[in-house]
Amino acid sequence: MFSTIEFFIIEAFRSFRRQALMSSVAIATITVSLTIFGLFLLLIINMGNIVGSFSSRLDLVAYTNKDLSLEDAAAIQVKIARLIGVEKVEFTSKTEAWNTFKSEFGSKLALGEIIYENPLPHTFAVRVRNPESLPALAKEISNMEVIDEVRYSGKLIEQLRSLIGAVRIAGIALVVLLSLATLLIVVNTIRLTVIARETDIYIMKLVGATNTFVKWPFIIEGIMIGLIGGGASFLILKFSYDSAAVKVVQALPFLPIVNDPWLLFCVYAAMVIGGMGLGLLGGYISVSRALKNET
Amino acid sequence: MIELINVSKAFPSGIDALHNINLTIGKEEFVFLVGSSGAGKTTLLKMLYREERPTSGKVVVDRVNVAELDSNQVPFLRRNIGVVFQDFKLLPRRTVYENVAFALRVTGAPRSTIRRKAMQSLELVNMLRRANAFPDELSGGEKQRVCIARAIVNNPPILLADEPTGNLDPTTSWEILQLLDKINKRNTTVVIATHNKSIVDEMKRRVVELEGGRLVRDQQLGSYNV
Repeated sequence: MFSTIEFFIIEAFRSFRRQALMSSVAIATITVSLTIFGLFLLLIINMGNIVGSFSSRLDLVAYTNKDLSLEDAAAIQVKIARLIGVEKVEFTSKTEAWNTFKSEFGSKLALGEIIYENPLPHTFAVRVRNPESLPALAKEISNMEVIDEVRYSGKLIEQLRSLIGAVRIAGIALVVLLSLATLLIVVNTIRLTVIARETDIYIMKLVGATNTFVKWPFIIEGIMIGLIGGGASFLILKFSYDSAAVKVVQALPFLPIVNDPWLLFCVYAAMVIGGMGLGLLGGYISVSRALKNET
Repeated sequence: MIELINVSKAFPSGIDALHNINLTIGKEEFVFLVGSSGAGKTTLLKMLYREERPTSGKVVVDRVNVAELDSNQVPFLRRNIGVVFQDFKLLPRRTVYENVAFALRVTGAPRSTIRRKAMQSLELVNMLRRANAFPDELSGGEKQRVCIARAIVNNPPILLADEPTGNLDPTTSWEILQLLDKINKRNTTVVIATHNKSIVDEMKRRVVELEGGRLVRDQQLGSYNV
């Protein structure tokens, strides 16, 4: 048993070396395909992350009526904070708001000459846990007597949510298509190495090799090709992503670039394992096809 | 050992390769299959190791109708039949030893057994001293000896040879025939398809003649021509 497994591995290496050019072509193909695949995967993950972080930043703003006292406002703040789905409530008194406004615009406008009295209401900036609960919360808060108006960007959230959905569907479709294309190329490349070894296969069958026995070296060869291709695309992607991420963070600091090591590890592992799987499947399909042609 | 009952073979192209063949070959017999090219000798041999299936009839090898054999059983049939070819069919990038060991490897035999049997087989055909040579470095006769060594390494009860001397000079041909005779004497059924007249006449063994896919002669102690 052990000597048979050893034989398979030696055979796989032998064929791999003998068809160095063909093997290199197969490896390059897998590398390119998996790199594109990984690139899209990272792009999709990052888009999802950006959309997600934007939608979680969306707040609901409630304006009180102008005559509300600070004490009553404090009570309302507690009341809002206790509502289900509310993460945080920030209170800005009308005096604070007026001062901020004046300090920002006061030098440009002679405000004191136009407006003598603070026209602003107290405001509550409400951060919600889940963007989906925004409409219901907005309604609940606006029903409070002292609240004049509630604003939130409901439409924008809807649009963002459908964008996330579209990105996800497009991403899945793309990944499936790319995998199929890669598989096709790998199958055909390994098929060339199988054709080059048709005499070997014929003689193996003639001296009484079972189909399973004939298949193994090719499957191992496929796995080797896939592993090397997957590994190469992992290295290419890791270095380009890391350097691109640095540049993006410098240029657009507000964009949240994914750098969760575990998530990235999963992406890279998926590429290496994916390469291996593609190679395995490619080897299996092409040798099975060659065997089917025999009687 | 081998029995063909009403065997016919028509190829899809319409060529009638064999027509209603009935033939019985006993254990440890030595049989020449003669006839001109295209008479159906190769097709008949191929049916025995199931590279071809008959269109109709039964091909019984060691009590099994191989025409009906399930394809996943074919490898096990082939381990019991050694085949020798005119063009040797050796693997060019493997040494003589590896070529012979190959036939044992596919059976999953342990390494020590592979080594022992391959060496024995090479010794029998007198090729042990060239064990590390590659096929390209061998003469035609030497290649045929390696091919025979590979065919018998599993100790098959049946050895088939398709024009084993087709590419060899008369002296070498004679040596190869002596070798096949030696293997026959070690309790192996030997069937040789040939159109080498001098060898058939010299050996004086059973001769089965095919002509246009029909069995036209079956003669003990026969010669090439009637």
